[in-house]
Amino acid sequence: MAENKKHSEHSHKSHEDHLRETHLMLDPMPRGKMNEMVMESMHTTSWKFWAVFALLSVIVAWGLFYSWGRLILEGVGIAGVNRPSYWGIFLVNTVFWIGISHAGTFISAILRVFKAEFRRPFTRAAELMTTFGLVQAGFSIFMHMGRVWLSYWLFPIPNQRQLWPNFHSPLSWDLLAITTYLLSSTMYLFLPLIPDLAMARDRSTGWRKTFYKILALGFRGTEGEWTHLRNALNIFAFAIIPVMFSVHTIVSWDFAMATRPGWSSTIFGPYFVIGALHSGMGAVVMVLAVVRGTMKNMNYFIRPEHFEAIGKLMLIISMGWAYFFFNDYIVQWYGGDKWTKTLLHWHEAGPMGWMWFAMLIFNVAIPWAILWNKKWRSTPWLIFIVGLLINVGMWFERYIIVPISLSINRMPFTWRLYEPGIEIPLGIGTLAFFVLLYMAASKLIPLVPVWEVQEGHMDHSLKKFGRETVVTVSDLE
Amino acid sequence: MTQERTLLAVFSDIDPAADALDQLRLMGVHDEHMNIISGIPVTEAMLGRPSQWTNVPRLALGGAAGGMLIGIFLAFISPNMYTIEVGGQPFTPVPPAVIVIFELTMLGMLLSTFLGVFLDSYFPSYRPMKYVPEISDGKIGILIEFPLPDEKKVTEVLKKLGAESVQYTEAQHL
Amino acid sequence: MTVDLNKLHAVGAIAEEAEGKWGMVIDQDLCTGCQACVAACAMENNIAFVGEEDAGYGRSMHWIRTERFWEGEYPEVRMTDYQPMLCQQCGKAPCEPVCPAFATVHSQAEKINLQVYNRCVGTRYCANNCPYQVRSFNWRDYQDSRIRPEITILANQFNPDVTVRRRGVMEKCTFCIQRIHKAQDKAKSEGREVEDGEFTTACAQACPASAITFGRIDHPESLVSQLARMPHTQHHLEELGTLPSVTYLKGA
Repeated sequence: MAENKKHSEHSHKSHEDHLRETHLMLDPMPRGKMNEMVMESMHTTSWKFWAVFALLSVIVAWGLFYSWGRLILEGVGIAGVNRPSYWGIFLVNTVFWIGISHAGTFISAILRVFKAEFRRPFTRAAELMTTFGLVQAGFSIFMHMGRVWLSYWLFPIPNQRQLWPNFHSPLSWDLLAITTYLLSSTMYLFLPLIPDLAMARDRSTGWRKTFYKILALGFRGTEGEWTHLRNALNIFAFAIIPVMFSVHTIVSWDFAMATRPGWSSTIFGPYFVIGALHSGMGAVVMVLAVVRGTMKNMNYFIRPEHFEAIGKLMLIISMGWAYFFFNDYIVQWYGGDKWTKTLLHWHEAGPMGWMWFAMLIFNVAIPWAILWNKKWRSTPWLIFIVGLLINVGMWFERYIIVPISLSINRMPFTWRLYEPGIEIPLGIGTLAFFVLLYMAASKLIPLVPVWEVQEGHMDHSLKKFGRETVVTVSDLE
Repeated sequence: MTQERTLLAVFSDIDPAADALDQLRLMGVHDEHMNIISGIPVTEAMLGRPSQWTNVPRLALGGAAGGMLIGIFLAFISPNMYTIEVGGQPFTPVPPAVIVIFELTMLGMLLSTFLGVFLDSYFPSYRPMKYVPEISDGKIGILIEFPLPDEKKVTEVLKKLGAESVQYTEAQHL
Repeated sequence: MTVDLNKLHAVGAIAEEAEGKWGMVIDQDLCTGCQACVAACAMENNIAFVGEEDAGYGRSMHWIRTERFWEGEYPEVRMTDYQPMLCQQCGKAPCEPVCPAFATVHSQAEKINLQVYNRCVGTRYCANNCPYQVRSFNWRDYQDSRIRPEITILANQFNPDVTVRRRGVMEKCTFCIQRIHKAQDKAKSEGREVEDGEFTTACAQACPASAITFGRIDHPESLVSQLARMPHTQHHLEELGTLPSVTYLKGA
């Protein structure tokens, strides 16, 4: 009997150890140590980092700046757009990057509001994606315009005759929504960063000291400063959620307001929002897997439990996407409108039909087949691949909605397939620029919100319920 | 000249810091002569301190109202300055106005929340301040301003309650 | 109590109000598909020649085109009537509200759909939203003889009454608004109204079969409104509620 008890105690202890190993929140480290680890991760750069950095710089110089210059000087003719596909990959990329940007807000605002504790170590990594993704979305929109040098005409500034922009146009709503979202997500990135910048300021010398000193704004951590910051973060977390929903809904209205078969759909708003979250979460796991794999000390902060938790969300979002997709599909199909029917047939059996099937496989079949399994979704490389395929699938989805759907209209005389031109280097350029910005940021600002992690450590403890040890969390806010 | 200096006691944990604050109050130091600096958000309730006043929510509301007014101007007034008929729609249709007003309200609210943090915290300020870098290691610092009732006794009490260091501090560049 | 139907956006009421001053009737039974209208329109309105490659890729910029269709399976194919397609000058045009820069607007005076070239920033939303796909975009600087020396000779016959558009700008049929204004100015200086048949658009003028008739659709005696009252009229994509000003006659 005594031996039995001892045995159970032993297994009990190993269970506790196991819990500590698994959960970052139960594995506290002194704040000073964590600060050092984060600073070290910023300072340690291998030659591989610089090699990739240099390569991406070349790609950005060629793909983004040289090609864009050509596009501006020679006209949109060097892109693949034509009649009837007046919109092409530029718009696909705009929707894609805005979609990517939704993950940051989802993680740092929705999960903050619902106090999902696993968010703590990677809110900033996700928010950075939001800001940098929106930069690429903005680039893609401006590339799309025929006379980009006049793009300020879209801003709410009157001309000499007091003519303001046309607020009947979904594009005007879009401009307001994307500007609001870009500004607010940048502010939301910066506010919780201030204490970490102060931390970095206290631990650097040379130009970095000056850099962090300026950015930290003189933050000391007085009661007043924390109170104002906490209040502001609370307002941001709640208020940025409707802004996020409005942005992708308005993007969907660019399509849904049009009188085109396939586009004029009332479900496009939520369908686009869930699609944005789908690709965004896929991108978050990709970024986290790379950060964990390449940056020093990051395997302490980002653990399989985080991939597991995001994987669950991805599975739910994938189901949601399938639900909205099917809703959109079956209503269009049942309606039996001549043009819509032609369009659906064109999607599935047209020359780009493979893309339609690939979209369903990447967005639904593969996530469902892999993410149900806890072990599989905790494996960083495996979930990285799932995230990558989801992003490819979501890009395909936007490609099907924009240029493929545009090739069919109510005037069969104009039907024609779209073939991309300079969109390809420009698209690669925006992707490279996104990664480049992210790499630069990972060396300049603390990628882990250390104060939030420490706050989490203080909140969590183990509690015994009878024979079982469980994790408990107290509420700080 | 010691009269003008400030005593800084650094604590690692919340409980000793809260005890120290109680002791100091018993010894006659006023709450307004004490200030807390910390590397994590330690609430006033945890330390038994009077609650802090913040203007951020009020500024947010004001910003939202301002943004809404700009939205109303853009949606309902600006189209009347140069009327142009498009697609048989009215000059100032209500449903698109809802979108414009919503976006500008949110933008006004979030911008003023952000600026509110700057205003309330006097950011940015690069003047010298009383601070030690250990604070960003998650320590809690109590800044006690003179005049102190009994300097030596205060230092002793603070040390006894678990202060890692008690020292005079002067404003320095961060 | 009377209800202002226009305020309620009742389509019938709008149709009445938006009934264009100027209108066109195209008799498909008469059209021979000779493309004279296409050529005349290009001459009149300084329309760019985009070259073989771009034209083959769906970038030809004609403001009017002659659509041809076949019916049935090979070898039993039968050609349908030629279908000249141009801007229908919709009373309730889907292209207008979607432009963020107010570059495509409804003219109050002529009740036609205008494109303001110098306000266009090239979002191309209007062209996407045009159910008739009759808007054309300046994909390149087709008209710049410094870039395309081969068009230097063509530049000598530009119509001075019409602007030349550069890259990045949307354009479309204007119902030859320069001719409308010229006729109106002449009539005004002579102190009279513009008479029916006094002038016509370039496409109507060039049509050897007289399949295109242009004029005041709001004058009941004009030829165009008499034709538009024929029993075999039809409007394209009428079901979208765009209220087109171009009426087609088919199968008399």
